[in-house]
Amino acid sequence: MTIPVFRFAPWQPAEQQLDHIAPAPLPSPFTPSVVLASVAVLLLLCFVSVGPLLWPQSHSTQWLSQVSLGPTTARAAKVVRDEGLWRPHGDVRSLRVADANTERVRLHWPALPEVKRYQLYRGSGLDAGLGLPLAISSTPYYEDRLQLRRALYRYSIADADTGLLLFSVEVRPQQAISEFEARLQGLIVGHKTTLPSTIMLPAHPLGTDALGRDILARLMAGGATSLFVGVVAPLLFISLGCILGAIAGYAGGVVDQAIMRLADFVVALPFLLFMILFRVAFGIGPGENGIAPLILAMLVLSWPSSARLVRGQVLALKGQPYVESALLSGLSTAAILARHILPNVLPIILVAFSFAIPQAIFTEAFLSFIGMGVSPPSTSWGAMCNDGIKTLLSHPRHMLLPALFISISVLAFNILGDALRDISDRRSGGVGR
Amino acid sequence: MFPGAIARLSATLRQLLLLVLCLLPALSGHAAAVDPVDQRITLALATEPPTLNSSIATDSIGSFVLSHLMEGLLRYGPGGELEGGVAERWQLEESGARFWLRSDARWSDGKPVTAHDFVFAWRHALKPATASQYAFIFFPIKNAEAIQAGQLPANTLGVRAVSERELVVEFARPCPYFLSLTAFMTFMPLREDAVEKWGRAYAADADKMLVNGAFTLNKWVHGAHLRLRKNRHYWDRDSVKIREIDLPYITSDPSAQFNLFRDGQIALANLDTGLLDEAVKRGHPIHHFHTGALYFLEFNFREGRVTGNYYFRKALQYIIDPATLVNKIIGLPGVLPAYSLFPMTVRGVAAPFREEYPEMRVKADIALARRYLARAKKELGLEAFPPLMLLVGDSPRALQEAEYYQYVLQQGLGLEVRIDQQVFKQRLEKMRRGDFDIVAAAWGPDYDDIMTFADLFASWNDNNRGRYHNPAYDYWVSLAQQSSDPVERFEAMARLQNIVTEDVPILPTYENGALYVQHPMLKGVRRNVFGGDPSFRFAWIER
Repeated sequence: MTIPVFRFAPWQPAEQQLDHIAPAPLPSPFTPSVVLASVAVLLLLCFVSVGPLLWPQSHSTQWLSQVSLGPTTARAAKVVRDEGLWRPHGDVRSLRVADANTERVRLHWPALPEVKRYQLYRGSGLDAGLGLPLAISSTPYYEDRLQLRRALYRYSIADADTGLLLFSVEVRPQQAISEFEARLQGLIVGHKTTLPSTIMLPAHPLGTDALGRDILARLMAGGATSLFVGVVAPLLFISLGCILGAIAGYAGGVVDQAIMRLADFVVALPFLLFMILFRVAFGIGPGENGIAPLILAMLVLSWPSSARLVRGQVLALKGQPYVESALLSGLSTAAILARHILPNVLPIILVAFSFAIPQAIFTEAFLSFIGMGVSPPSTSWGAMCNDGIKTLLSHPRHMLLPALFISISVLAFNILGDALRDISDRRSGGVGR
Repeated sequence: MFPGAIARLSATLRQLLLLVLCLLPALSGHAAAVDPVDQRITLALATEPPTLNSSIATDSIGSFVLSHLMEGLLRYGPGGELEGGVAERWQLEESGARFWLRSDARWSDGKPVTAHDFVFAWRHALKPATASQYAFIFFPIKNAEAIQAGQLPANTLGVRAVSERELVVEFARPCPYFLSLTAFMTFMPLREDAVEKWGRAYAADADKMLVNGAFTLNKWVHGAHLRLRKNRHYWDRDSVKIREIDLPYITSDPSAQFNLFRDGQIALANLDTGLLDEAVKRGHPIHHFHTGALYFLEFNFREGRVTGNYYFRKALQYIIDPATLVNKIIGLPGVLPAYSLFPMTVRGVAAPFREEYPEMRVKADIALARRYLARAKKELGLEAFPPLMLLVGDSPRALQEAEYYQYVLQQGLGLEVRIDQQVFKQRLEKMRRGDFDIVAAAWGPDYDDIMTFADLFASWNDNNRGRYHNPAYDYWVSLAQQSSDPVERFEAMARLQNIVTEDVPILPTYENGALYVQHPMLKGVRRNVFGGDPSFRFAWIER
């Protein structure tokens, strides 16, 4: 048996070996979810910027005659004068509906000598049961003005003492608006003595809230606040973080120590407490808008994470041969920063930014929800949720709609951030998904 | 601002937590709304009572808890009529009153309730050092006014313990309603040794107070939990059926309360607009009750406030329409639009006062309101009105109302309104300091006489938070206070009613009515206009 003689293999080019481990073409970053998220973000931005132009209703207008409505179309409303107390004269043979519109339903029934007090109930004409006890009346007439809608009602009148049911009638009030409200909303101008008989009320595609405000207009106005905070606050605190992080990483030594210990200190500060302190320090009294202190608090308290990120990257880049060669060849610091450091840090900054947006939106929503953010009449999605939680049982729409918008925007920005990170990972030599 | 913000934050978080808890049905079951075996009921409180010291308490929650813990000379019986409490007999004359105390009335440590305890309590409440906001309620008693002003020592008060069991009261002026005063919380007895022992901390904790009523305070975790147990030393203990009233929830959010009721956690819940349909749909019988409380906007008359201007207030009067507020925004049957200082429940000579002396109604008129505002601007010499501070409570309804006022004033008159939402304690404090332009306030009657509302805006009253000072108003109040002729008194009151409409020291908004649902097994609950509401003193649980 011969012992094989060890000999040098001829050199072979490396390309051949690389050929079969060459990576398969990377999946495109434009997955359906990313495309959907981009579309969602674009739509949201359009919704809050172009939306108010297309839907020029004020978010603070309270349509008193249309409180807590579902989606409605534009409709004509009869103008009703306030006539003070209603006292009908004479007797009626049977229960008579003297007037039936959403401002007032007037009922007049025969006086029964043996009944002292009448108990009135109002129920939905579609459900069984007496419904809501409206009032106890000692007179054989009653004017109901309580939050009437254009729906089928059944009024029942019983003897308050014995509970014996006396009369019942079904009424469908006609849409109306009081003269006072029409004047308040500026639908009747001037001091005319003759009123127009009808007035057109605008449509509410998503209905109205508990104060009669158009939910669609509020979603737009609220979204403008939420997205403004969501974009401006991260822009500010990431910029600050980048500058401080770059200085720390590039200068090193004492400066680095000082800035990083400051960052450690800031991280330890409680956000909510500082939020309140800033409001006090700003002299923001109760009832004033708290957006400026909110953004300032986020600026002062949220920069450390991006500063740390940038510092780490700058430190790593500083040791790279090409930076050293640039130094040796006598390039100025500014040129090195601009030519070598910044382009390599930028992807990280972008990723941090895209993740900071949903975080900021959520912070604003949370603070407005607990009443520390915007104050009425301005609104935000978080504040709308806070409003809506009061009517969660009867009108879940008031809370769910703004919550849906918060969820969609936070999710979309997160997906975009994920995609950006994937792209930047790939660029810095990491493996894609 | 700082503590207010923190408190509001914690209150909101707690409400949120409570709401989340109620939405989890799995958690129900450990505490039942009513327990017929132990005769125990569970309820929710809207807020924590700021204090349970009967000499300084002013609020309705404190009054509710105190009405179960303490008993005065007289008390309100099961039908709402006055009956003997600690006193078993009494005699009321034009110049004074005399009370004979029952021998078996006991404090919660077993010692007898004596006439000295009443003498001490009344003197204590009147001392300027105590700073009771209800000191004025003693003013019918001789020398009370001078003592409160610090001109006379407390022991000159016209009340004397003739013996351990006999109390003599001298009046400064006729007081036909004195008996119903003695059922009010500030007239409750206090034990000198207990008050001296704990000083300012008296009644700040469950173990730092002595009580003489149907229940004792067994537990008080601040901001979270109160528990009342039947008092075994109470003289009338046999008539008290409920053995324990547990108050483990403190939330002013009506939906949280309704959820607790729906899940069988509490026995009584007040309803709000958004909950009515839900309650009707679920088939709960809905009860109604006129609380007798008046809600109003109170203006600040201190120096430098635009609200001191007559035309400015007139402008607001012509644009804030109580009927619109009640029918559109509040939307609860039983809540009545208010146009008068005196609610429907106030008695007159022979019939309800408002039937004998109907009020003037101001019809909303935007054009007129604008003219008044222009006049106010001219008179004040202002270029533009500064933003108005509207101080409101922290309940959801209070905020909703505030947003309505804000909108109407902005839209109708172009006034900017800033809403200052504060928790109850903080709001009272700001009202006391005068840190507001307009405050949404409320007043519940303290005793069964029209004077409980009438003297509210007299210049000497501490509860006149806006420092309204009108000699004509003061004159009619004094006239009524000095008179024992009912017709003359109510005539004076009718004048007051007109002054309120014409000069607008306050803007009445609504008379509160409560709609509530109650556990069907719980019986005999009294809803009181006076003396603490609701009262479980005569309630029982039917098996």
